[in-house]
Amino acid sequence: MRLPAALREAAALAVAELGVAPSATALTAAALRAMLEAIVLQAALNQHYQDYPRARPDLGDLVIAAAQLDGHPFATQPERLRRAAAEITASHPAATPDEVLLWAEARAMPAA
Amino acid sequence: MTDLVILDNEAIQALASPSHSKHRHALAYVQVIASRKQRAIDIQTVVPTTVRVEAGWDRASRAGAFLNRLRITDSPLDPAAANTAAAIRIRSGVSVADAHIGAVIGSAQAARITVVTSDPADMRRIAGDKSVTIAAI
Repeated sequence: MRLPAALREAAALAVAELGVAPSATALTAAALRAMLEAIVLQAALNQHYQDYPRARPDLGDLVIAAAQLDGHPFATQPERLRRAAAEITASHPAATPDEVLLWAEARAMPAA
Repeated sequence: MTDLVILDNEAIQALASPSHSKHRHALAYVQVIASRKQRAIDIQTVVPTTVRVEAGWDRASRAGAFLNRLRITDSPLDPAAANTAAAIRIRSGVSVADAHIGAVIGSAQAARITVVTSDPADMRRIAGDKSVTIAAI
């Protein structure tokens, strides 16, 4: 496998200076493994959503799940999060759960 | 450092069956994890093997095919984990599977540990003094 020289040098530097992996090869393999794992997982989910369209979580479901996984203070307020998801989707249809969480936090701040 | 997500019996059962009332909810966790993996966040999902037994997830069966594709790693009940789980079970009176979850929590080196569970109270008891995030399914 050929890597761009700059990327190869950056990997070697990260290994030497930051100790992120035993070697540049190990770092490359780990990164590749992680990305392949992510791709395979998403492919499995996409196939499942195709087979069971009603199983696909909407943005509200995803932001609640993200808040719960992170122990976010709003995790216990699912209606607030669903409302924030609905608001942000109106202007940003591709918003991510993390962006919705930020929006919900901003909405909760008292006006200056 | 890795974020660790541990699944309990109901989380596995909800994931396994599209007709389960919490299937979509359980999939939302996996979707968030998948999205984070795509952003190179180091996050691992595990199932203690006794939880897998309790949930009836046989990796060799056709019924387990979908779960097998979700990159959920087995956390085995090895001798050390069995000792820890036994102590938790004696102390807390929880099920074998929950005690095993406690042992996984106890030995985890993760930056953050989250348990997806239908029984938050038991999970807090078995976690001891370890900091754990509870995601109630």
